[in-house]
Amino acid sequence: MRFFPYGKAALSFLILSLLSGSWIGWNAKMAASRRTPPGTQKLTFWVFAKAHYEAYRKALPAFEAAHPGVQVDMQLVSNDGLAARLQNSFLADLDVPDMVEIEISSSGTFFRGPLKDVGFADLTDRIHQTGLWDKMVHARFAPYTSRGRIFGLPHDVHPVQLAYRRDLVEAAGVDVSKIQTWDDFIRVGHQLTKLNERYMIDLSDSSTDNVETCLFQRGGGYFDPQGKCIFDNDVAVQTLCWYVPLVAGPHRIGNSLGGGQVLTKAVEDGYVLFLVAPDWRSKSFEKDIPRVAGKMALMPLPAVTPGGARTSTWGGTMLGITKRCKNQDLAWQMAMHLYLDKPQLAERFRQTNILPAMQEAWDQPAFHEPNPYYSNQPLGDTYARLAPSVPFQYSSPFIQTAKAKLGAALVSCVQEYNAHPDRDLTPFVRATLKENADDVRKLIARNPY
Amino acid sequence: MKKPASEKSRSFRRQHKLAPYLFISPFLITFLVFGFYPILQSLRLSLYATNGPKSHVFVGLSNYQFLFGDADFRTAVWNTLVYAFWSVFLQLPLALGLAMLLSQKWIKARGLLRMAFFSPNLMGQAFVAVLFGILYVPQYGLVNRALHPLLPRLVPLDTKWLQNPNLVMPAIVLASLWMYVGFNMIYFLAALQSVDQELYEAARVDGANAWHQFRAVTVPGIKPVAVFVLVTATIGSFQLYELPYLMLNNSAGPKNAGLTIVMYLYQHGFVTGDLGLASAIGWSLALGVLVLSLFQLRMTGVYKGEAS
Repeated sequence: MRFFPYGKAALSFLILSLLSGSWIGWNAKMAASRRTPPGTQKLTFWVFAKAHYEAYRKALPAFEAAHPGVQVDMQLVSNDGLAARLQNSFLADLDVPDMVEIEISSSGTFFRGPLKDVGFADLTDRIHQTGLWDKMVHARFAPYTSRGRIFGLPHDVHPVQLAYRRDLVEAAGVDVSKIQTWDDFIRVGHQLTKLNERYMIDLSDSSTDNVETCLFQRGGGYFDPQGKCIFDNDVAVQTLCWYVPLVAGPHRIGNSLGGGQVLTKAVEDGYVLFLVAPDWRSKSFEKDIPRVAGKMALMPLPAVTPGGARTSTWGGTMLGITKRCKNQDLAWQMAMHLYLDKPQLAERFRQTNILPAMQEAWDQPAFHEPNPYYSNQPLGDTYARLAPSVPFQYSSPFIQTAKAKLGAALVSCVQEYNAHPDRDLTPFVRATLKENADDVRKLIARNPY
Repeated sequence: MKKPASEKSRSFRRQHKLAPYLFISPFLITFLVFGFYPILQSLRLSLYATNGPKSHVFVGLSNYQFLFGDADFRTAVWNTLVYAFWSVFLQLPLALGLAMLLSQKWIKARGLLRMAFFSPNLMGQAFVAVLFGILYVPQYGLVNRALHPLLPRLVPLDTKWLQNPNLVMPAIVLASLWMYVGFNMIYFLAALQSVDQELYEAARVDGANAWHQFRAVTVPGIKPVAVFVLVTATIGSFQLYELPYLMLNNSAGPKNAGLTIVMYLYQHGFVTGDLGLASAIGWSLALGVLVLSLFQLRMTGVYKGEAS
């Protein structure tokens, strides 16, 4: 070893590391050149919902054909992974995709800090200049707005109905057209519920998914338009006092075993008769519980008071263009192609049951077609009729914490009611909600931005 | 032209002096860049309120002040301590008992059984979380289906292991027992095999029964390994994250019943982007684990050389 005095082993390691390093570098360069042929513009687009991904796959070739030299690289990323990775990439100034779809419950967390630090491009002016503001359901811009600026296009409206086992409900002699209010519904629920055997409705006693839908229906929410935490106001107290006895205590009519296969079995067995069904979930039922096809039907959500709103909202998606996107005009054109093209929206509705936020699209034939799964009801019509009444919901960077805190309050109230079903629940609910909302306020107060 | 012998010797000595530093330099450089610098940086960050690395405002010790006044942090610490307690006082005795049982010569197919008990550890925590998530399902899950006929009043069919805050921690502990008992058993098996068999014979000659043999021969014989397992199991317990997070459907569970310190850190650092508070949580965790480990080492007599 004349030229390398540290022995053969060290020399071997050195050669190996040089070779492997060169190989990795060369491979990365080749992969990059393969991905983007010269003269091609690429738009990277992250999507979290498989249903959206599959629908867009059919829509994108038309966009690429209309824009020669443009290639769209769409990637399906899990929702949690997407939110965390994107958030951290924004904050650390790393590479981010050009366009991203974000789930409504994560969207607020992207608007933290000074406006200059928000990783999404401000779309407010484009939305007003192109007249989009008037074409879409206004309520759906609210969750994607921060300090008066709009950072996302709403993908959907997500009105809520109730899906139910029509065969079993009819066999029990119930006429759902007579159920107008929640009081009517609860009255029927007490007749049909047999504890541990059959429950009137699939409602959770621990997750916020259902209670927040009820809260929105009553005009409540987590935050007001200024971002102040309000989930301990009178509306929230009334909602929780009403909701808890539905899922706890000796006279409960609701129970939830969970989602996925368990829910499939529970519906097939008739363990639960009614399910909260936003439009997107109505498609999940079709796919996951095929055995009850033709035995299911939809009805509007019962009103809180006679003549009140017969719907609420659950879920949502926004499409954002990132500030780092090199060709934001092109990204905007793609957004318009995906979100405003009426024939495509109609086709996508057939695939997903999701009512688009653009109201003009609802007159397409697809929205009036009978749906065999739901006893031939015109599914699109039933949702579209309710869509204008969908309540506003406002977001905040602290939305995740607020959701967790409302969930904690719900569980505490359920425990209290199970222990003392005869006591007046109101003071306990009020104190618990306040305690949890104060925790969120404390967190907001720390925020120096 | 050849170099003179003295110059050759000087060059050799210089190379000999430099060589060790050269050999350790890859580790040292990597550690300084990716270990030491981030550690220092996180200490600095813990004094700032941040919105990612771009925007930060100096807040002094207020992150720590907030932390110790925050009910969620106290819940996270309590949950982590409860889990660590059961890990140590349930998992380790079970692992030791299993190791002692499987070191008995009269047991047939010992190799197969050892493999069977160890195998859950070959799966990642994510798989175990998904598996137990299914086992704990109310009404249709295997756990309720198995326990309900035996204890009908105590375990109704719709028992919600992962939705009831009182049952969440037992459910997590049970899942972790299944995963880690076999793993720790391997350490104890190795330790038991190193205990001098002549000591047992001598003890038997002196009239020692099984309990006396365990106390006087086995425990001192396996003490170094036991201390190691105790400390690593405790540190591991304080790092608990994936198992509850995935079992509880990417959340801390009802009423934060499954919230651990690392989960709390993740929420603040990577969900809300408050790296300053997350750094303060990280430092508090590191100091807590250090203090606890030192306490354990002291209690087990390692410092007095008793364990060696």
